Amino acid sequence: MIKVKNLNAGYGKLQILFDVNAKIEKGKITTVVGPNGSGKSTFLKTLFGLTKIYSGEIIFKDKDIAKVPPHQKARMKIAYLPQTNNVFANLTVEENLKIAGYVLDKDKVKERIEIALSVFPELKDILKRKAGTLSGGQRQFLAMGMALVRDAEVLMLDEPTAQLSPKLAEVIFEKIIEMRDNFGLTILLVEQNAKRALEISDNGYMFVSGRVAFEGTAEELLNHEKFKEYSLGITAV
Amino acid sequence: MSIDLISMILLWFGLYYIVSLSLNMEFGYAGIPNFGKALSVLVGAIAVGGILDRLLMLYFGIGGDFITGTTYATSAINNLIASNPIVGIGILILAIILASILGFVVGAIFILPSAKLKEDYLGITLLAISEAVLLICTYNLNIIGGYYGISTPDILAFVSGEYRGWVFAWIVLFIAFLVYLFFERLLNTPFGRVLRAMRENENTVKAFGRDIMKLRIKTMAIGSAIGAIAGVLYSLYTVNIIANAFTRVDWTFFPFLMVLLGGKGNNKGVALGVLCYVIVKVLLDIYKYNIKYALGIPFEPVWLSYMLFGVLMLLILYYKPSGLIPEKPIITPPMKKKIMEISGK
Repeated sequence: MIKVKNLNAGYGKLQILFDVNAKIEKGKITTVVGPNGSGKSTFLKTLFGLTKIYSGEIIFKDKDIAKVPPHQKARMKIAYLPQTNNVFANLTVEENLKIAGYVLDKDKVKERIEIALSVFPELKDILKRKAGTLSGGQRQFLAMGMALVRDAEVLMLDEPTAQLSPKLAEVIFEKIIEMRDNFGLTILLVEQNAKRALEISDNGYMFVSGRVAFEGTAEELLNHEKFKEYSLGITAV
Repeated sequence: MSIDLISMILLWFGLYYIVSLSLNMEFGYAGIPNFGKALSVLVGAIAVGGILDRLLMLYFGIGGDFITGTTYATSAINNLIASNPIVGIGILILAIILASILGFVVGAIFILPSAKLKEDYLGITLLAISEAVLLICTYNLNIIGGYYGISTPDILAFVSGEYRGWVFAWIVLFIAFLVYLFFERLLNTPFGRVLRAMRENENTVKAFGRDIMKLRIKTMAIGSAIGAIAGVLYSLYTVNIIANAFTRVDWTFFPFLMVLLGGKGNNKGVALGVLCYVIVKVLLDIYKYNIKYALGIPFEPVWLSYMLFGVLMLLILYYKPSGLIPEKPIITPPMKKKIMEISGK
């Protein structure tokens, strides 16, 4: 669904990504793993248009969207959820969900909110609370619920389980699977919890120093020597 | 004395409420730190002194020097107004229309240089632009008479002097009420919610498909158009304009204090903030020398109002940053209907 070709990107004059080639398949979960500072989050930000692209192409539905600004990418049904700052803290949960629907037809918004609440029933009891008062898990539910309200086709998640307990992280992973299976979402996932993320994924990429060090199916990546070294914190010389 | 005091409080409440409501939309709702708010008020003065006065010169066939010419023109129109009150009301409406249009355009242009700026950088850029325009208007005699100033029509030339303050205060209050209704109607909508969202998190607003710059332009254009109305009213009240009357202290910083005091993102809260501050400030200005002698204050009491400003700002930001009346969720008409249904059951 999204093809990345020879992508070079960074922040201002600081280049982070070097000659990245990748393919995110429609209706699949693709996980990006790698050590801190490897460019995983920058990769997501670049796809969404929040970094400076020096060269390369991002092909989505047969069009190069590398130079398309974020708000137009959003209207192309691409949703990006940063690790933090992904909700409006001073607005209520209900208001957050409504705002997510502002690019849709009025009739459709109500329907989409009901769908979001069916996937995240935990939100029903807290609709009147300010988003800033939610726990970490509730906040992630809200952020992902907002993506569902928008009727997104591609969902890019940047470490959605960061700072959550293992039990809650597992719930998040289950929701991600549910969104892929029930709504056919294409999901691109950046996770520090690499092993578990790959276990729920279809495909995987390993980034090292801003380059793709390995790509393949999630299973292949799980069994790769490089990944084992990375998981154990061993650096081969 | 007390009667005049009340009319003065009402007048300043009305003027500052108009400015503060528009600042509340820009800063309280949209999160735009418009430290150049004084510019929109100055634009109202320019509409009256720079455009309306020229139209009057044209109408009465008066040529020659701008400053002198407008003196003759305003004398002529005042004579006309004295015998035809309708003309005065017409001048007021014309001035408001001119100012709103000019304010709208200037507001839209004013925000453009800051396309990539945020927060402090955005605020300081707007302040700098505002100051630059004020300096130009102060030293260029052909805009609003520079440091000499310029005459403006007395739209209440048909009212005797002793009642003029009262009548003008009620006109200002009426217009302030209309502005309040306008903002309540404009901001209790999905648009208002998007502005609040933009204040919270611009990247997430982009992520939901909205163009931040368009929202800023729209917000600043509307905010400046309304701010310019206050400039018109002030210029017509004083029946003259001098550029130095439109300083950042009076028309940017005081409104910020009033918005924060009353409660940003909340139009009723702003009313309370404006009322509290205006009462204290007017009383302080009038009785500052009585206070000096009563308390044995060892310095010039003219500084008391600035000290009050500083102390209040620190107290608000430290102890109650949400203001006297904190903001509430935006209730759009459909939500209101739903609430009525639920409570009706």
